[in-house]
Amino acid sequence: MHSSLQRLNNLSTFVTTCLLALLAAISLSSYLLATSPSGALDVSPVQISMRQTTPWSQKKEESAFFEFSFDADLRSLFHWNTKQVFLYLTAEYTNRHGLNNEVVIWDRIVRRKQDARVRIENGQNKYYFKEHSGSFRNVSDAQFVLKYNVMPYVGPLMYGEGGRTQSSVRFPSRY
Amino acid sequence: MFSEELKALRRMGFRQALLQALNFCNVIASGLMMWKGLGLLTNTESPIVVVLSGSMEPAFYRGDLLFLTNPVNEPYQVGDITVYKIPGEDIPIVHRVIESHYKVDTPLVQDILTKGDNNKYDDISLYKRMKWLERQHVVGKVRGFLPYVGYVTIAMNDFPQIKYALLGLMGLFALVQRE
Repeated sequence: MHSSLQRLNNLSTFVTTCLLALLAAISLSSYLLATSPSGALDVSPVQISMRQTTPWSQKKEESAFFEFSFDADLRSLFHWNTKQVFLYLTAEYTNRHGLNNEVVIWDRIVRRKQDARVRIENGQNKYYFKEHSGSFRNVSDAQFVLKYNVMPYVGPLMYGEGGRTQSSVRFPSRY
Repeated sequence: MFSEELKALRRMGFRQALLQALNFCNVIASGLMMWKGLGLLTNTESPIVVVLSGSMEPAFYRGDLLFLTNPVNEPYQVGDITVYKIPGEDIPIVHRVIESHYKVDTPLVQDILTKGDNNKYDDISLYKRMKWLERQHVVGKVRGFLPYVGYVTIAMNDFPQIKYALLGLMGLFALVQRE
């Protein structure tokens, strides 16, 4: 009836159940501990220029440059189930073909609470900002949004907004 | 070594052996149904995947388990971590969306560009002559995370002996054990 194999089986089942319950509780706590930090974001256009945008291709493409400054306090996002925060700056606009575009121009991985007060002065694009059609002619003004993704030790991934430009930003008109 | 088990098997008789085999099939069938049911709920062909590469470190390491959903009638957002499969490649890739382009009236016709957080460049070189990733290539987006657990499958792939030993043991137990 009670062989050692059966005891082992019962014990491991019990341990697994407890562990799963604990992990579930920690995952759920992410929802309770979620906060919504806010920051100030300021973006100004610099220029559009022809650049060689991929290291393995000689082709030159139109590439837009924006200069941005922001001050975001993400310290409240760091609780016991936060492994890291992925912070990214996106530009949203519509091009002349009516296509909706959302493009990441800068990002950073924040791994510690000490580094979670992020202040950038006169930051530059980290990635080349190219247009889907190849040309920025007649595109709409852009909305810039600073977003974050909280990545947990276990459980759900959470997304949020850390600030956006007060008014939309015009693309540079001169090439 | 297995003389005891063999004796037990002989003692069971034909009817009992058949019943055990049926039991075994039942277990496999319910497993498959749970997997497919989960796939229906989350609208994706594989709702749970194992991370196979280090391109999303330090967030996801090899062997971590990811839970996916595939949003219905909704485009993928920039910042979503997607799992995609390029036609002709076996290995699904877990990378973050960094560009999205779609028309408002056709949200499912979407051009996507992805990049691994730990990689220097975006994924265009992985797309095999395609300029953009399309919706049909995307399996789903990551909604939940469980570390380490998936390492079992990686170990089984790297050392197939473990897989055969495990399968053999399970089969033997299922046949021999009497409820």
